[in-house]
Amino acid sequence: MITFNQAHTEKVEYMLDFLNIRGYTLWEDVKGRGSQKGNPHIGTHTWPEMNSAIMTIIENDKVDALLNKIKKIDVINEEVGIRAFVWNVENAY
Amino acid sequence: MSIYKTAVNKPISTLMVFVGLIVMGLYSIRSIPIDLYPEIEPPFLSVMTAYPGANAYEIETNITRLLEDQLNTVENLKEISSITTDNLSLIFMEFEWDINLDVASNEIRDVLERILDFLPEDANRPTLFRFNTSMMPILFYAVTAEESYMGLNKTLDDILINPLNRVSGIGSVGMIGAPTRVVYVELDPRRVEAHNLTLEQVANVISAENFNLPSGNIKMGSLDYPVRIQGEFEESYEIENLVVGNFQGRPVYLRDIGKVEDRQRDISQDERIAGGQGLRMFVQKQTGANTIQIARDVKAMMEELLPQLPPDVEVKEILDTSDFILSSINNLSRTLLFALFFVMLVVLVFLGKWRATFIVVLTIPISLIVAFIYLFISGNTINIISLSSLAIAIGMVVDDAIVVLENISRHVERGSNPREAAIYATNEVWLSVIITTLVVVAVFFPLTLVGGLTGVMFNQLGWIVTITVITSTIAAITLTPMLSSKLFTLKKKVERRRPMSWENTFGELFKKLDNFYESTLRFALRHKRLVAFSALGIFIGTLMLMRFIGTDFMPQADESSINGNVELQTGIRVEETVRVAKKIEELIVTHVPENEIYFTSSGADDEGGFFSLFNQGGSNTISFGVRLVPPGERQRSTFEIAEDLRMRLAEFPEIVNYSVGFGGGGFGDNDVKVEIFGYDFNTTTELAHTIRDRIEAIPGAREVAISRQEEKPEIMIKLDKEKMALHGLNSFQVSNSVRNRIAGLRASIFREQGEEYDIIVRYSEEYRNTLNDIGQISVMSQTGNRVKLKEIASIEEYWSPPNIERKGRERVVSVSAIPHDISLGELAGEIRTAIADVEVPSDIMINIGGAYEDQVSAFMDLALLMLLSLILVFLVMASQFESFRTPFVIMFSIPFSFSGVILALFITGTTLSVIAALGAVLLIGIVVKNGIVLVDFINLMRDRGLALNEAITVAGKNRLRPVLMTAMTTILGMLPLAVMAGEGSEIWRPMGIAVIGGLVFSTMVTLVLIPVMYGFIAKSGQRNKKEKLRKKMQFLIENNGTH
Repeated sequence: MITFNQAHTEKVEYMLDFLNIRGYTLWEDVKGRGSQKGNPHIGTHTWPEMNSAIMTIIENDKVDALLNKIKKIDVINEEVGIRAFVWNVENAY
Repeated sequence: MSIYKTAVNKPISTLMVFVGLIVMGLYSIRSIPIDLYPEIEPPFLSVMTAYPGANAYEIETNITRLLEDQLNTVENLKEISSITTDNLSLIFMEFEWDINLDVASNEIRDVLERILDFLPEDANRPTLFRFNTSMMPILFYAVTAEESYMGLNKTLDDILINPLNRVSGIGSVGMIGAPTRVVYVELDPRRVEAHNLTLEQVANVISAENFNLPSGNIKMGSLDYPVRIQGEFEESYEIENLVVGNFQGRPVYLRDIGKVEDRQRDISQDERIAGGQGLRMFVQKQTGANTIQIARDVKAMMEELLPQLPPDVEVKEILDTSDFILSSINNLSRTLLFALFFVMLVVLVFLGKWRATFIVVLTIPISLIVAFIYLFISGNTINIISLSSLAIAIGMVVDDAIVVLENISRHVERGSNPREAAIYATNEVWLSVIITTLVVVAVFFPLTLVGGLTGVMFNQLGWIVTITVITSTIAAITLTPMLSSKLFTLKKKVERRRPMSWENTFGELFKKLDNFYESTLRFALRHKRLVAFSALGIFIGTLMLMRFIGTDFMPQADESSINGNVELQTGIRVEETVRVAKKIEELIVTHVPENEIYFTSSGADDEGGFFSLFNQGGSNTISFGVRLVPPGERQRSTFEIAEDLRMRLAEFPEIVNYSVGFGGGGFGDNDVKVEIFGYDFNTTTELAHTIRDRIEAIPGAREVAISRQEEKPEIMIKLDKEKMALHGLNSFQVSNSVRNRIAGLRASIFREQGEEYDIIVRYSEEYRNTLNDIGQISVMSQTGNRVKLKEIASIEEYWSPPNIERKGRERVVSVSAIPHDISLGELAGEIRTAIADVEVPSDIMINIGGAYEDQVSAFMDLALLMLLSLILVFLVMASQFESFRTPFVIMFSIPFSFSGVILALFITGTTLSVIAALGAVLLIGIVVKNGIVLVDFINLMRDRGLALNEAITVAGKNRLRPVLMTAMTTILGMLPLAVMAGEGSEIWRPMGIAVIGGLVFSTMVTLVLIPVMYGFIAKSGQRNKKEKLRKKMQFLIENNGTH
């Protein structure tokens, strides 16, 4: 699960392609705020920015590469914001 | 999918849409006619009824009053007034603006139809006239000639006028003061009587001899010959040889009893051009035709035609309205270019990036071009109103693009890809961009609803600004993000700064400015009360200055032309008038070296016609005109020259009354009229004189004149009915006989080369120019006896008023004055005090009107407009902020914009005209916009959790540049309007001054006072939402406590 500022959309999409990750689910215009720092991204007049969220199911060996790329995106400008969370898929159809 | 996302994702479509707009716009520009003002159809209709031979009194009772009573029932009629002179009744009807004049005209025709039977039989049918500004002649030529003067009329007709009439768009070409040829048969009454003839008999013979008659056909052989009797005179001298009767068995030839003179008509009007004999020729255009185009075509045609004229005929242009239009429009176009340049400069200085500047400035031509499409579709013209509207809009249309662009570049600097930044950054600001636009629209849109004369100007301004601002907003949220996504590049972080780069010059300057502002703001927030009170002090102080600012209706423009009217002793013969006219010519030659050409016209054309509607006068009036060289080539302004002429005319002992005015097609007079209503001539005239004396004592009053002309001597023939009855005569016969002998009887028409000339039979002048001569006129009775006029009538000389004016169906006389060196409002005030203690009889009413009346009503309109704008602006802001208080904070800057206006007017010595007041109204929108930008950001900072004062300071520092930038673009956009000199610039200069003054002042106030006021109001619990929320959620906290 990757949540990111909409401003990162293109980079994220390119990253997935780059890593040959085909399947994903994307939610546009989701809201959220960070646990420690950073501005809320909640699409109000006060905090106009919005996030998107992507869920993608990948092999375990690709996870590190993906997190690595995400970190690279984040350091461009930390204020913009991108986060990834990994958990196991118990079952799938 | 949102509009800006579509725009960014489909750059080519977006580009095509805008290119399409530009193409359509350019096409429109090509086909929009150019004119000075928007076409106005003043809601005036007039009814003219001629009653030849009747004097003003009779016409008033028999025609004017009758018509007025009936016409008064016409719907939507605002005011009815009339002028009745000898021979003529003229009724003017003013309707409400915005009504359909066709309907009104039809209604009037119905009324006239109904009333026709009640009018005197000899009166002509009343005719309805409808005015339109496009009826005013667009070109005036002076034609002078020496040897060919006699036939000038015909020469011009053949060589110039007929070909010119073929130019498309020309309404008509006419002549004033053309010599017309008449064949006079002048009889000697003694000889006529000695031969036992009468004048009527002679006329009958002439008429009977002068005709052709087709008389059937004759078949001869194989041919069929039509037979025609040819009796018409081929030469005018043939008339002399006519046999008019028999006396003692011998034929009496006409030459025995009189003489035939083939010459020009007796003068009643004399045109002199540049000191020589001549006439004036004028060109009128068709409604809706392009003045500039026609003037150009006519001039080109004239070039071709002039060589065909006889060598002594000289044609010179006196007035070319297209000149003034063209130079005004060129002037304004230059103003627009300057404004564009200044705005670009401001954007460049503030942003420091060429590409960004390009993107922002691009919205200007696009918005302006859409305005042209509007003009084209709505059938308007390019005129000084529409162009100055564009100049006003130019500084405003960049604002939205700036806001969007700034946010995009912020995102790009944070490392976003330009395409994404364009979408998401626009998403963040598009709503507030639309709302600030709404505020501006809230101010300008009501302008489109104004009616009346001022409405004509304001409607276009309202529409144009509304349309351009809306277009600019649309462009800002589509084109701007699209271009940004294409043109912006990801900047490399480390860039070597050149010593003269933007960052090192203006960037540093702005940083210093930011810091200075921050410290000022902190100081102000610590001393809120001091700031508030000093602001109040400034406001009251400037209000005091208001007393020193005069009020005017419309600024007067220097149109490089002077025209005047001079009135001599009534009843004076035209030959005497011409003598004075020559003196005036000398005056012009010696004292107005700036003249380009001048003309004088003495007397009046008694034939009536189009121009007699504008020109009332008699043998005692002279009208003159001087065309001056352009303003750049002379030292004195038109107004100074006019004032100089006035002074010199005042020295003529012969001149009773004079007036000197300027310009042609402007928005009317600039005068104050004191109207005296009352029936009795003597009392009202006396009162008018008293009032005139009082007004003349006012130093700033000029050309104080009484509208009622001096009574003029008249010879009245009072018929004795009884004596007439004894001779078997009636009034009709007698008066006709007298008329035929003095004015002349049109016996027949003399034809030569397709032209027709009147043959007029009358008594020779030497037998009809004393009272005794008139008494000697003999009338043939039924029994064939000759009866001398003095036997059946008494002949007296008496005085009669030459004109009777009425307004609202009551007799009125008005005393008018125009201001010099003081404002119209001041003059009206002084007149009011000056005549306050004049004793007015109870049946007489006095009213102060004239242009002053229009001014008052225009200011009332503006006040209403301002109220409406304020309410609308408040509505928009209150809904944006979801608050009643915040809009008030922002609106605090409005009074100070007015302070700024007053200050600017005071410093520049400009009067408060309707135009300047309009500028003040416009300020509401512009000023509030700045406030919104600031307050919105303070709110944002507070919501983001900053403490009150900190939020204010941070927001202030952050928004300083955008506020300064939008203010500067508007100010500099207006600057050319305020300072450029040139023909026509006087009209819009007050607006430029007002807006610049108001904006400079209120921007300073916005930046300091609004944060302070925000501090005041916020303290008393504006943003206590958190506290409220805490109270509401109390149960949660308590629960937590127990666990």
